[in-house]
Amino acid sequence: MKTVLTLIMACILSVSSIAQDKYLTKTGQITFEASVPSFEEVKAKNEATTVILNTENGEFAALVFVKAFRFKNALMEEHFNENYAESDTYPKANFKGKISDFDFDSLNTTNKKMLYSGTLEFHGKTNTLTDLPMTISKNEAGQIVLSGTFSVNVDDFDIEIPKVVSNKLSKTVDVAFSFTLKKK
Amino acid sequence: MKKKLLLLLGILAIGSVLAYNYIYQDHRNISEETAEYKVTSTNLVEDFIKDVSTTQDKYLNKTIEVTGIVTAKDANSVTLDNVIFCTLSNSSTVALHSNTTIKGRCIGFDDLLEEVKLDQCTIIK
Repeated sequence: MKTVLTLIMACILSVSSIAQDKYLTKTGQITFEASVPSFEEVKAKNEATTVILNTENGEFAALVFVKAFRFKNALMEEHFNENYAESDTYPKANFKGKISDFDFDSLNTTNKKMLYSGTLEFHGKTNTLTDLPMTISKNEAGQIVLSGTFSVNVDDFDIEIPKVVSNKLSKTVDVAFSFTLKKK
Repeated sequence: MKKKLLLLLGILAIGSVLAYNYIYQDHRNISEETAEYKVTSTNLVEDFIKDVSTTQDKYLNKTIEVTGIVTAKDANSVTLDNVIFCTLSNSSTVALHSNTTIKGRCIGFDDLLEEVKLDQCTIIK
């Protein structure tokens, strides 16, 4: 009887210790901008990104719902979904990667720069991103805050920009993210 | 001559108003749309787990009403039965553990957490 109890306790403990290694958010923010100066702003914001960080090894995954990108201009949003991102066919984008030399115990309220690498899948195409900087801190509530910016080329993701609008749309897209991760 | 000019001006004015309205059209107002589907939270998530692509084609970007028990909430989100995550367009008060119906736009299935995500949600009851 005792052994059974110990076994059960061990199981519960091991399960909870696995769960403790994960930090996550379901409302991660991502904005992208492909504006060209003096033309209408091409910018969208997504506040529905799921991000999970494994604090044991610094591995993280981000799942982006493409339909959740909101533009100021409704027509631009429609064109983005129908012609560029083709979000009916590719409703999700994701990033799977790892923060190099991640050390959970070193995190505190001051911002630290760390590098991360991984693969970004969008519009059915996957590209590798290597050694990009991000800022990491731990806020007073014990949440981990990740933020950073990077640029991608639309060509790398097989997105064609029609000639008519090519001067109003930048071929490099600036992406900014900010995730506040809570302990699971 | 004057008549023709006036007519031309009139057409131009109407044309530019139409063009303006097309370019600066309003966003969808999910809270005023009628739901295309009415489902329970558990049925919806089971459909997604069984067959993601078919279920996704059916619900993606559609306005739906989902009924379930509130298992978590914060200022601008509500979770139904641990499987439907709803982002609210306006913060509203809803009691934990209450049976609630939420209307929103389905933006997809989160396969990391096995949850369905809805945005621009409003609480029906």
